[in-house]
Amino acid sequence: MVKTFERGVFLPHYKKFSEDKPITRLPLPRELVIPLRQHTGAPCRPLVAAGDKVEAGQKIGASDAFVSAAVHTGLSGVVREVAKRPNIAGEMVDCVIIDVDQGQEFPTWPAEDYAGLPVDEIKARIREAGIVGMGGAAFPTHVKLSPPREIDLVVINGCECEPFLTCDHRLMLERADDLIEGSRLISKVLGGPKVIFGVETNKPDAIAVLEQKLVKEKDMELVQLDVKYPQGAEKQLIYAVSGRKVPPGKLPFDVGVVVQNVATAIAVLEAVRNRKPLVDRVLTLTGPGTPNPGNYQFFIGTTISHVIESTGGLQDDVVKVVVGGPMTGWAQLDLQAPLTKGAGGILALTGEVTQVTDYMACVRCGKCVDHCPMFLYPNYIGVYGELGRYQQAEQWGAMDCFECGVCVYVCPSRRPIVSFVRRTKKAAAERHRAATRQAL
Amino acid sequence: MNKALNLQFSTSPHLHSQANVSTAMRDVIIALIPVSLVATYFFKLNVPFLIFVCIASAMLTEVIFRKIMRKPLSLHDGSAVLTGLLVALCFSAATPWWLAMVATFIGVGLAKELLGGLGWNRFNPALFGRVSVILLAPWITFLNNEFFHWRVSFPGIDTVTQATPLALLQMGLPLPNMGTFFFGYPGGGIAETSSFALLLGGAYLLYKKHISWHIPVSMLATVFVGVAVLGQNPFFHLISGGLLLGAFFMATDWVTSPITKKGQIVFGVCIGILVVIFRIILAPTEGVAFAILIMNAFVPAIDNATRRLKFGETRTPVPAQQGVPVQKTS
Ligand code: SF4
Ligand code: SF4
Repeated sequence: MVKTFERGVFLPHYKKFSEDKPITRLPLPRELVIPLRQHTGAPCRPLVAAGDKVEAGQKIGASDAFVSAAVHTGLSGVVREVAKRPNIAGEMVDCVIIDVDQGQEFPTWPAEDYAGLPVDEIKARIREAGIVGMGGAAFPTHVKLSPPREIDLVVINGCECEPFLTCDHRLMLERADDLIEGSRLISKVLGGPKVIFGVETNKPDAIAVLEQKLVKEKDMELVQLDVKYPQGAEKQLIYAVSGRKVPPGKLPFDVGVVVQNVATAIAVLEAVRNRKPLVDRVLTLTGPGTPNPGNYQFFIGTTISHVIESTGGLQDDVVKVVVGGPMTGWAQLDLQAPLTKGAGGILALTGEVTQVTDYMACVRCGKCVDHCPMFLYPNYIGVYGELGRYQQAEQWGAMDCFECGVCVYVCPSRRPIVSFVRRTKKAAAERHRAATRQAL
Repeated sequence: MNKALNLQFSTSPHLHSQANVSTAMRDVIIALIPVSLVATYFFKLNVPFLIFVCIASAMLTEVIFRKIMRKPLSLHDGSAVLTGLLVALCFSAATPWWLAMVATFIGVGLAKELLGGLGWNRFNPALFGRVSVILLAPWITFLNNEFFHWRVSFPGIDTVTQATPLALLQMGLPLPNMGTFFFGYPGGGIAETSSFALLLGGAYLLYKKHISWHIPVSMLATVFVGVAVLGQNPFFHLISGGLLLGAFFMATDWVTSPITKKGQIVFGVCIGILVVIFRIILAPTEGVAFAILIMNAFVPAIDNATRRLKFGETRTPVPAQQGVPVQKTS
């Protein structure tokens, strides 16, 4: 039976460009620009300085904070400098910039026997490897695997509900055994709860492969999910597979669930079995504006321009380049930003697919209210956010918005509600800071 | 990549549905073509003439107000044309053009543009204009006297003298048969000529998903039950007095109706109750217009009262969270 959540929206899939393209490696880049903060939580301090030689897999940034994730270099080379560079969201972040040794072999990490490892050691290896959620939020995985209460369900997120993206699809298809093994490790760390794989029905080949392999697994099952956006959002996914609702302001562990994305589960296995740090990942380069769409493995810190140049450049009719999915990704003005652990896609979009247009006043058509998966009032959030009346925007639910973009997608007035939400959240954070300062 | 990149920037999302205000307005206009044609059949050129006057004055009014307030022109959104058409349809074909013009001017200029333009208006502009000229009757009489010899009328106008079905009903006169009423009967306002044509238009809007069933059904059902309980023929009430025009084209106006489906049902039921009160107890024939306008004023209150819970929220409120909750596809 195909399950799903309430509301949301059916989007065009746009997966054709790359869904049949096996994962391949990009050529060596000249440089790596590795941000010291690629995750939710405390930034790392650099462990290297300009002029240092670094080896493939070497840790180059770390933090003592628990909610943080170490960063490593996947390639050997010489540190050129540690300097601020803009990330994909346009924020200036500290980066370690490495001139990569040309002519080096791609690094490998031999498998070790990990069968009898105690849970603490597994967790330590995951933390050491700097693993974060690879579906976009980039929350440190070792933190998610240390929940303050009992977990009775692990959900492996194979929805890939954003249009265009296919890298998780390819991983499920090409690395099903590793995925299942990684998921088993995640479950083991959490005390052995049941594992559910949630996959949207537009990936029938991946579903077939996984279902066949899961036949012999007890405590693991695959649930087919409707192709509806945002099926892969944590709260919607948990509700679809288990019927549990995570209350506003709460996290999945409050209802006894941990969600991990498929790429993360595979990274967990490699961290434990091979002691491989998270130095590379797969992204989908796709869209009507690229001559060679596909699923490419790249080293963290590779710049967008390297990916694009080594795959044949952009076509002339490209009007927008987006990092991430088309619903939540970041538009890029130049292509110098480095790709991080959370980067699942580069989209080269043409005017046929995406248009930047003016917006109008809200005409109260109610479409955003009908489709919002969080049951908020995007219309009022938008109206008050635009007027700068942030507290009223909060009253209509701005703080519970996770910026999925559904409301903007359906709006006939094309109102940029997500930006109004971000403004409201920023104002709330500032108010909160001011209040804390006063209290001190 | 030697060429200079010329990339666009905007916040997410980068995809957009085809939904668009002008398309919606255009579809509503299309949905009103059948009834306009039936009326033209009965009243000849008087109908296109009145429609032309109203649409032209609606567009002109919008342009003038926007120029004065130094705002960009917005004729392309189609709302001026639609409002003009709706005003025309509320009148009878014998209405003098200046009266229709005044109504359009008030509807578009005062009820819409002065309040900030499309989206900010509290009242349905067409109904507001229509009802204003009823309330301004003394001045209108003055206009009528001053401009009487300017009246334009084409052949075909004499049929207009026929009383509306609702008036016949209220006066206790014999009614023509239901089928005639339903398909085409030259009495009352332009939009009262054919219930069938209005239903056709309403069905088109439902099919195009520009409106949902909640308001029309709750409103019509309430009237039906209400008049039946009070002992009158409910079918005649449904197909007369502009009730269908109100239910499918006026009360469903996006801007001036509640935002949730639940609110829309409350709204429809309240309008229905008011229509019954107006028609049976107070007996004016413009009961529908008044009922909708009155309920327009209560839309913010209805939105507040029917406020839905957030995903996962329970009736006992969770203490407000200070930080910024993070949830992403992970
Ligand atoms: S308000 Fe937020 S959660 Fe709701 S649809 Fe819009 S972006 Fe998504
Ligand atoms: S979809 Fe757009 S126009 Fe419609 S109610 Fe929401 S914000 Fe307003």
